[in-house]
Amino acid sequence: MDRAALKRSEAAPSAASSSEPAAVEPAPAATLDRSASAYALRWLALHRNELRAIAIGAASLALFILSWHLLTKYRVSFHVRFINVPSPEMVLESLAKTTRDSKFLMHVGLSCRRIFFGFVIAAVIAVPLGLVMGRFRLIREFVFPVSEVLRPIPAIAWVPMSIMLWPSNEESIIFITFLGSFFPILLNTLHGMTMVDPILVRASQSLGAREASVFKEVYFPATLPYVFTGLTVGMGVAWVSLIAAEMISGQFGIGYFTWEAYSLVQYADIALGMICIGVLGLASSMLIRGLGRLVMPWSKA
Amino acid sequence: MNAPLATPTVKGKVTVTGFGLSYDTLEGPVEAVTDAAITVNPGEFVSIIGPSGCGKSTLLNAVAGFLKPTKGQVAVDGEPVEGPSADRGMVFQQYSLFPWKTVRQNVEFGLKMKGVDRSKREQSARTLLGLAGLLAFENQYPDSLSGGMKQRVGIIRALATGPKVLLLDEPFGALDAQTRVIMQQILNNMWQRLKTSVLFVTHDIDEAIFLSDRVYCMTARPGTIKAEIKIPLERPRQQSMMMSSEFLALRRGLMSLIREESLKAIGGELNDVALQGLNIELHGQSLADVI
Repeated sequence: MDRAALKRSEAAPSAASSSEPAAVEPAPAATLDRSASAYALRWLALHRNELRAIAIGAASLALFILSWHLLTKYRVSFHVRFINVPSPEMVLESLAKTTRDSKFLMHVGLSCRRIFFGFVIAAVIAVPLGLVMGRFRLIREFVFPVSEVLRPIPAIAWVPMSIMLWPSNEESIIFITFLGSFFPILLNTLHGMTMVDPILVRASQSLGAREASVFKEVYFPATLPYVFTGLTVGMGVAWVSLIAAEMISGQFGIGYFTWEAYSLVQYADIALGMICIGVLGLASSMLIRGLGRLVMPWSKA
Repeated sequence: MNAPLATPTVKGKVTVTGFGLSYDTLEGPVEAVTDAAITVNPGEFVSIIGPSGCGKSTLLNAVAGFLKPTKGQVAVDGEPVEGPSADRGMVFQQYSLFPWKTVRQNVEFGLKMKGVDRSKREQSARTLLGLAGLLAFENQYPDSLSGGMKQRVGIIRALATGPKVLLLDEPFGALDAQTRVIMQQILNNMWQRLKTSVLFVTHDIDEAIFLSDRVYCMTARPGTIKAEIKIPLERPRQQSMMMSSEFLALRRGLMSLIREESLKAIGGELNDVALQGLNIELHGQSLADVI
C-alpha cells in the first residue's frame, strides 16, 4: 500500500507538468505500476471471464438450492408432489449423521472400488484393441461385427446374465461396470485411428520410420485425444451401469444405499445418495480430463 | 557460414524414365501420367510446373516412394525406388508437422529413426533451427507457429537426415503472397549453402524460375513432359532479379506454354478467341492475364 501511494505521488507532478498532453504520452510499459494492488487489478481484468463464469455458476447453484428449499418447505403439490421430498436441511443433517458412522463411507468406498476395477480393465483392453483394429483391417473386420451386436445391449440388461456368469456378486457388478465403459472407449479409439492424417504417416515414413515407429510416433499420439474422449464418456456410462447393477443385485455400494433408503422410508438418504453419485461422477470425469491435459500438453482442449 | 551439419550434404541423382501411372476405374484404367522422363543431376535445383491435375504431384510422390509407377522406372543414384525412405526428404503443402512434438522434436525425428543418440540429434536440430532462424521456438508446439515458420520447420526436418534429394510438393501453396516471396528467398539461400539436389513441384511460374536451374513443364492430363527450360540466371539469386528483362523473357515463354495447357485442362471449347470475347464482360481486365 505504501509503495502504491509513493508511485501515485511520483506520477502526479509529471502529469501536472505535461501541458502538451499528446507529445509526452508515456509508453504504458515504462510506467507499469508494479504495486500489489495494481497487480491484483490487472489480474482481475485478465481473468474477468473466468470469474464471471464462477459467479454465475455459484448463483445458479444457490438458486437451485433455494427453490428446492422453498418447494419442500411449503410442500408444493402441482401434479408433481414435493410433499415427501426431503428438504436441503434434512439432507445436510443426514449427511452429518451418516458420515459419523462408517457404513456410509463403506458404501461409497465400495462403489469407487468397483468403478476403478471395471473402468481400468475396460481401458486396458479397449484402448489396445481399438488401436490394433484401426491398424489391421483383418482384425477390424473380424471383431467389429461382434462388438456392434453387443454394443446396443444396455449394461442393465446384462445383470441376470452376469449373475449367472460370475461366481461372486462382486465380480458380476464389476463386469457390468466394465461393459458400460468398454464400448465407448473402444469405438472412440477406433474412430481416432481412422481420423489419423495420412500426410503425417507419409511424413514419418519419408523420415525413415518403419511400421513399429509409425504406430508409436504417429498413430498412437494422433489417436490420444479420441482415446480421452472415449475414457470420459466411458467413465460416465460406467457410473450409470454401476448404480443400476447395485440397485438390482448389490448388497453394498452407493446405488444400493439409495435404493435401501427408499425401502426403509429414509427419504433424506435418497437425496443424499443421489447427490453423492453426482459428485463422484463429476469428480471422476474431472480426474480423467486432468490426466488428459497432463498426457497431451500440445492439446488445447 | 560453415556451421557443422548433422550429415554432410549428399547429392543424389534422380532419374525417371518412361514413367506412367494409371488408376483402375470401372471404365477401365485412367492414365494420370504417361511417358514422362526427368532427371535431377547431383546438386541441381529442378522444378516441375504444370496446370492443376496434370500429375506433377503424382510424379513427385512416385519419386518419394508413396506411389508405384505402372510403367517405367524411378531411381536415385541408379537404385530403383522401392518405398519411402529418409534418402528422399519430403516437404508437403499441408505442413505435416507432428502436433504432439515440439519444434525441435519434429526436426530431430528423422535422426531419432536413424538411431542417433539424444545429445547428438539435439545438437544438429539446434544447428538447423538456428539456420532457419527458429531457435527461439525450439520448445514450442507447431500449433503456435505461423504458416511460414511451420514450413521452415518442415524443410529443415526433411534436411536433418542429410537426404540425397529434397522433394517439395507445392510447399508454399498454402501461404499468403508476401510470406511466399520471403520463403522463396529463404529456400534459395538454404540451397545456395547446402547445394543439395532438389525436385520442386509448383504451379507458380515466378517461383519456379526464381529458384530453379531447370524447369520441366507438364501437359494437361494425362500429364507428360512438354518442355524443359534451362534457367541461366546467375546465382546467388536475389528477389530484385525478378524485374530483369532476362527473367521476364523466361516468364513470358513459360507463361504461354502453361496457358495452353491450362486451357486444355479447363475444357476444349475454351480457346483464346473465346477468352477475347469474355474480356468485354470483365471490364477491360484481360482474362488471359488472369490465367
